[in-house]
Amino acid sequence: MTKARYLRNALAGLALPLLAATLLSACDGGSSAAASAQATGQAADQNPVKPGSADQIALGRYLTKAADCAACHTTASGAPFAGGVELASPFGKFYGSNITPDKEHGIGKWSADQFYKALHDGVTPDKHLYPAMPYTSYRSLTRADSDAIYAYLMQQKPVAVPTRAPDLKFPYNMRFGMMFWNVPFLRDQLADASTGKSAMWLRGQYLSNALGHCAECHTPRGAFGQLDLSKSLGGSALGRVAAPNITPAGLAAVGWTAADLQTFFATGIAPQGSAYGEMFPVVHLSTQYLSKDDLAAVTTYLMGDQPLPPAPVKAISADAMELDAGKRLYTAVCAGCHGFQGDGKPHVAVAMKGNSTVRNADPHNLIVAMLDGIEAQKFPGTESLQDMPGFAGQLNDKELAQLSNFLRATWGGQPGSITADQVKALRLTTAAH
Amino acid sequence: MSMTIHPITMHINGKPVGPVPVPEGIMMIDFLHEYLDLTGSRLGCGQGLCRACVVILDKRDGSSEEVRSCITGAHFFEGKKVRTVEGHAQRNEQGEVVALSPIQQKFLEHYSFQCGYCTPGFVNAATVLVEKLKRQPVTKAQLDDTITEGLNDHICRCTGYVRYFEAVKEVVLSTPGLVKDAK
Repeated sequence: MTKARYLRNALAGLALPLLAATLLSACDGGSSAAASAQATGQAADQNPVKPGSADQIALGRYLTKAADCAACHTTASGAPFAGGVELASPFGKFYGSNITPDKEHGIGKWSADQFYKALHDGVTPDKHLYPAMPYTSYRSLTRADSDAIYAYLMQQKPVAVPTRAPDLKFPYNMRFGMMFWNVPFLRDQLADASTGKSAMWLRGQYLSNALGHCAECHTPRGAFGQLDLSKSLGGSALGRVAAPNITPAGLAAVGWTAADLQTFFATGIAPQGSAYGEMFPVVHLSTQYLSKDDLAAVTTYLMGDQPLPPAPVKAISADAMELDAGKRLYTAVCAGCHGFQGDGKPHVAVAMKGNSTVRNADPHNLIVAMLDGIEAQKFPGTESLQDMPGFAGQLNDKELAQLSNFLRATWGGQPGSITADQVKALRLTTAAH
Repeated sequence: MSMTIHPITMHINGKPVGPVPVPEGIMMIDFLHEYLDLTGSRLGCGQGLCRACVVILDKRDGSSEEVRSCITGAHFFEGKKVRTVEGHAQRNEQGEVVALSPIQQKFLEHYSFQCGYCTPGFVNAATVLVEKLKRQPVTKAQLDDTITEGLNDHICRCTGYVRYFEAVKEVVLSTPGLVKDAK
């Protein structure tokens, strides 16, 4: 393993004092936090919230949702914030920790300073955190916002559930190694994929990069699990469902508009499709609760102050026999829900026409959705979509390739070049190996 | 997409059907109703949720499975063998019903259904379940869960679930070879 060898060399060959000095300089948080606060227009002295007040707790509740803490710290059947959500990675499995105010198993003994240090530096009173907890993004949180989240969490019911230890391979199970990881990879500011300088864009930058930690899924990672900030928000396949490219160019290429993107964040469903995979809980637990202004800000940041126009679907010439085979499959097993003309059915299934997954040049998610299916989902309000069955057991690799090519060429503006081998490769893939 | 006509051929309830020229996007339930006058399969939700519309697909390996005919195109069944609710009872040469299938009979005896709209789906589900148990018997301890799993996706708005369940259980326990440790 190259990664393991590198880490051993790093641990053995680097001078600890030098690293420690670098670490200290890298973790000089006060100035960066202040800069971040200025950038978001939310400096604590401009927007004072009395510590421990109802206002601070209400703000903390909102920020906790904006930061999507529940996604990792609340299981489907567990108590709020009691931890236990499994997060698979190439290095092993992590489990969300207990962040209730329980004094033994949670954060009940932590001070606000220690809580901020965990978010900002990835260091708790007793250990270094792994970046599965996205302190690499939360680092930009203002102290005032950290304190508000802390105040809200400390109001929650303490739950005496021990945090499950991560199940990691050697040498990743040596926590102290994170000290050395943080030196090159913990940055005060994430790279921006879009350009802008409006107040809305700056607020969106804070919401997206710091609170929403979009980069953690949508930015590719390097060999050591670090965010590859040269390709910020360029898309990444960390899990079974890949996080798509959400740069301005990536969003425009598959037809997103600012209005549709706001609708998507607020409701989980837009003309371009519905939230599925790991994006569904993001909408379910986080973005649906954001204010309209904040959603507009997130959208402005993702698309830039000068958004690119949505690209029209290109006409594609495709092999007629391949198309016909795919069309027959579509009418046999897809059209009943997605519509013969690809228009979808309200409250049943999304449209294929203009669907961003169908339009994506990378067929990964299209194939995975057809193989695995998508669970039934309840969206904000009274909206819901029924489950989509997986067709891994019904259609073979060649048939799924034909179906993919029909969808891509007919409604996706993408070449019908998917092969049976590509389907086969994904059929063998297990989630987040 | 332009609408084109494709002829379709299949076996339904043991008899060859077709070739029948039908529009390429037609759903199986509409083909059964409008072209073959087989109106026993019920169109319930029209979106694959209630399973009143299921038909039985007989596969080449001897197994059978339910397929939702409201969301499955008729051409999916091209060249395949299908059973609908009309195919279970025994009939004389004039086509008159002379005996119900064991499942149908027990549904009557147990008053399993009230309005009857979901019944074709339940008949097919239970038939598929019994045929599966012939191939893969279960223990008595597994039986309740097996029946629940076999019927669970079917919706009955009259809430006849318990009586459907009891009727199926009686058929299974009284049919030799379906339960390994049946006494």
